[in-house]
Amino acid sequence: MSDILLEVDGLAVQYGSLSAVNWASFKLERNRVLGIVGESGSGKSTLIWALTRLLPEMATISSGAVWFEGKDLLRLPPDQLQALRGTRISYISQDPMSALTPALTIGQQMMDVLYREPWSRKEKWARAVDALDWVSLPDPAARMKMYPYQLSGGQRQRVSIAMALMLEPDLVIADEPTTALDATLEVEILDLLRRLQHETGSAVIFVTHHLGVVSSLCDDVLVMHRGDIVEAGPVSEVFSRPTHDYTRMLLRCDPARIAQTTRRLPTMADDLETPIKIVAGPADRIKTDQPAVLEIANLSVSFTKDSALPRWLGGQAQEIRAVRDVSLDLRKGETLALVGESGSGKTTIARSVLGLVSPTAGLIKVAGQVVDRAQAEVLQVVRAFTSMMFQDPVGSLSPRMTIGEQIYEPLVVQGRADVDRATTVADLLRNVGLPAGFATRYPHQLSGGQARRVGVARALALNPALIIADEPTAGLDVSVQGEVLNLLNEIQDRTGVSILIITHNMSVVRHAADRVVVLLKGEIVESGQCAQIFDAPTHDYTRALIAASEHKLPEFSEME
Amino acid sequence: MSVSNTNTATRRSAIGDGFLRLMSDPMGAIGVVLVTLLILSAVFASVLSPFDPAQINVPIKLQPPSWEHWLGTDQLGRDVLSRALYGGRIALSVALISTALSVGIGVILGMVAGFGPKWLDNLIVLAFDTVRAYPVIILALAVGPIFGAGLKTVIGILVVTSIPYYGRIVRTSVISASKADYVEALRAMGMSRVRIVARHILPNIIGPILILASMDIPVYIAAEAGLSFLGVGVKPPDSSWGLILDDGYKFIRQTYWLVIAGSVPLITATLGFTFLGEALRDTFDPKLRKGV
Amino acid sequence: MFAYALKRIGLGFLVLILAISSLYVLILAAPGDPASAMLGPRATPALRAAITEKLGLDRPMPVQVFNYLISVLQGDLGIDLRSRQPVLNTLKIHVPRTLELLGASLLISAAIGIPLGCIAAVRRNSLFDRVVGILSVSVIAMPAVIIAIFGMLIFAAGLGWVPAIGAGDGEGLLSRLHHLILPAIAVGAGWIGYIARLVRASMIEVLSTNYVRNARAFGLPARRIVFRYALRIAVAPTVTVIGIGVGVMMGSAVFVEIVFARPGIGKLMYEAVILRNYPVSLGAVLAASFILIVATTLSDILNALIDPRFIEDSE
Repeated sequence: MSDILLEVDGLAVQYGSLSAVNWASFKLERNRVLGIVGESGSGKSTLIWALTRLLPEMATISSGAVWFEGKDLLRLPPDQLQALRGTRISYISQDPMSALTPALTIGQQMMDVLYREPWSRKEKWARAVDALDWVSLPDPAARMKMYPYQLSGGQRQRVSIAMALMLEPDLVIADEPTTALDATLEVEILDLLRRLQHETGSAVIFVTHHLGVVSSLCDDVLVMHRGDIVEAGPVSEVFSRPTHDYTRMLLRCDPARIAQTTRRLPTMADDLETPIKIVAGPADRIKTDQPAVLEIANLSVSFTKDSALPRWLGGQAQEIRAVRDVSLDLRKGETLALVGESGSGKTTIARSVLGLVSPTAGLIKVAGQVVDRAQAEVLQVVRAFTSMMFQDPVGSLSPRMTIGEQIYEPLVVQGRADVDRATTVADLLRNVGLPAGFATRYPHQLSGGQARRVGVARALALNPALIIADEPTAGLDVSVQGEVLNLLNEIQDRTGVSILIITHNMSVVRHAADRVVVLLKGEIVESGQCAQIFDAPTHDYTRALIAASEHKLPEFSEME
Repeated sequence: MSVSNTNTATRRSAIGDGFLRLMSDPMGAIGVVLVTLLILSAVFASVLSPFDPAQINVPIKLQPPSWEHWLGTDQLGRDVLSRALYGGRIALSVALISTALSVGIGVILGMVAGFGPKWLDNLIVLAFDTVRAYPVIILALAVGPIFGAGLKTVIGILVVTSIPYYGRIVRTSVISASKADYVEALRAMGMSRVRIVARHILPNIIGPILILASMDIPVYIAAEAGLSFLGVGVKPPDSSWGLILDDGYKFIRQTYWLVIAGSVPLITATLGFTFLGEALRDTFDPKLRKGV
Repeated sequence: MFAYALKRIGLGFLVLILAISSLYVLILAAPGDPASAMLGPRATPALRAAITEKLGLDRPMPVQVFNYLISVLQGDLGIDLRSRQPVLNTLKIHVPRTLELLGASLLISAAIGIPLGCIAAVRRNSLFDRVVGILSVSVIAMPAVIIAIFGMLIFAAGLGWVPAIGAGDGEGLLSRLHHLILPAIAVGAGWIGYIARLVRASMIEVLSTNYVRNARAFGLPARRIVFRYALRIAVAPTVTVIGIGVGVMMGSAVFVEIVFARPGIGKLMYEAVILRNYPVSLGAVLAASFILIVATTLSDILNALIDPRFIEDSE
């Protein structure tokens, strides 16, 4: 038997007249892990779902063959293909929230996968519990009776993995299985996948936009760009000696791969030969002598979640302590990173600064003014000093208003609409590197990076003293991440604005922040100068975050 | 200023585009034709009617269709064609007035509930639920005679019972919109609640609401006919398709033309508006398909 | 789940109390005094005074409402002016007839509408799908009066397939079912179309979800995916709509009961209104509201059972 498990030959997929994958050809050997890497729209997802004809209706496979054990999967009768699915080839899909049916319990869904096996119900149940145990899901027997919504994101992804590997298929295809997860969780799941791959010897196709994941997990890599496979080969070779310009750019632009601190990250538009300029590391930018723009003292925020039962029937409201006793300050011209994962309370802190939530205790001062939700005039002044960039750049723009109107809106709200509108809007757009013509566009006509720039322009409209940037690079391709960070850094150098960056991504922190505050479950676990945090983190959680951003998986030994 | 000019231009051509797409859908084309015919016949009812619809002429009562009376006469000798034409006028006015009032009040109450203080929200929702606890036709039968049968009562009942329907939809949309990032962004800017709702949220929800309303016009038309059939709606000498149908039903074995004169325009109207509404929705807001 | 059901039932009860009270207020607040409205042409000052006294109309409004509520909750709905029996007895004869009709209509519309919508969704854009689409919209648009009258003219009076009038009381079960068929179809016809469209739309949405693709990726048979994975979720909106739709169906039932001379809430109301038999018409509205509130409460609880996420969404 040859070592080739899967051979894709000249596969092309189209959505209507738009081609998504052009003439893709590659081979996959048994017991190898193949990474497929590319930015959004590169066709990587389309490619892998096309392999077993699971594309949505509007997609058509226009040519090619997919050879699996001497059979062409694209021309196999449906019943034979169905017999292969789940048993010989299985999938792990991207979003653990939507991969499991909401209306059936975990157990029902796991046992459905075993429907072809000649086992009794009891045996199937036992096999499913074993599989959940195998993926280190705590208390598997109890989880079998739960519905997907009762599990956390990480637990759900473990269930999906257990389902995919339960029948020990020859080929496992994983579509960005960790993208929707927090960074430290991502490392755990990747570690799990690697362990399972070793144990089963399955071949794996792993789709990701993350170069770090590829280098730590995969043997081979395909680089895709706009539907083409532009480069293929063993990871060590491709990453150390990329031949295609696109691969070289991609490797160069990933903030996570630039170990030195720089205020000016390389972008796709740069000349490949220009060396990365290491400018003014945070060590030179200590601002203790500057006045504080933002002071937070002993801030606590709690929410109450009402019980489903009314109080008179014994229902009790639950108190959720989102932020506990947090103190921090931010000085003029400085960038502070508030680091933590979902549920760490970092966004709640930002919202309290803007007076969008009421603190339970503590004091917040913006430019010397105490933020008090009860005093509308004070709040108005605070909001004139502070601008917020929201996490979802398109979602934070009003869908039916033009970009121009929206950039101008803060001036209207603050009663400063007397300036010349067209010029102001054009200036603001120019400042963030967009042509003035964008003023007449609508939000849905923008790309993620452009919408992010519009967010910056709107934040700049009032000449704020403080910009709060919530996950400024979330959802952006690596190549665009650098551009946005560069833009924020440039604006700060030019205007001396203070920036509060809220993020879970340590590679963003490294290139943008002067100081770092690490939050875990609403409490500060570590804070200090950026360089010091990276060089000598004191808390385990900080270490885990840094490791996660670099995708250094703990070494795995087969000996256990 | 050039900004807003290009805007109107694109919007205008978008509406033109939409109309073309609407007409290319067979259902939409049929709907547009039927509804246009209906509106024209209602507007020009006085010109098109060969007789005064209220003129009683007992000697020629219950005559089958003839060259003089195309749709025959009823039990009081009135010309049925004229009565059917005027009945369309009544049906359309009831439907349009009821739609306008219930959408208007429903949208306002829904917005107040969705963006107002919690206690007011609870109060309004409870009021909505209470009104929704009455089956419309049965409530109308009970209350109609007390308030006096007639156009005003019909419209009043239809409006009161429809307000919760629109109100709830608007409330839900406002609540989900007020959790949206763009609203949070506006609040962070310090924009007032009223301005956020009026300038940003309302324009986003009003389109779908209007389409839903257009789909309810046939429901109002059918309700008016039904209530008049039951004797709690329009009263003679005013004319209504429901009244003609009632007359026909009373003498069902002999007077087929009355049943036809009452039912054919009624079916035409409800079908026409339903087709139009469905096509409008598919053309302008395919997402609504799943809703309500 | 239990907490949600309890809360939903409590809310239903509160709405019922409010509905009863507001109906009472509404009728008393009507223009003109209720005593003469009730008496109609028979009103003499003496009779009017007697009625006012008897119904406690001279007392303050809150007291009246409270007294009325108490007596309603005790099952005292007043005296049927025609039969001189308690209204409750009259209702006991008619309400089951209407429930029977509604149940049969629901059954027919769900039994036909759900499969039609399902097949249309699976074979999207086929000829079948298009025909079902146009037919559905057409029956949805058809007013209940029209369906009742034409159904009666064609199938009962014309073809004689089914009896034209009555509910077949006092005859065997078979005869009663025979009497039920046409009225049930007349009430349910529009709902067949409505449910078919609703199921089709939500089915199409569910079939394009990630978890359905996943189920396919695990090689589950198409039949199992459609019925076990997709349909369960796809019927949820239908359940909600049916809950509210019971109100609309009761409206259609009024016409159907009148046209087919079937005993039931609708016919009872119609006659009570003509005869100014106020206690009966009030009682009938209350019975109808009660049925509607029970239906919406049940549909919410059922939805929570089908898809546990429903509880969170409704918060």
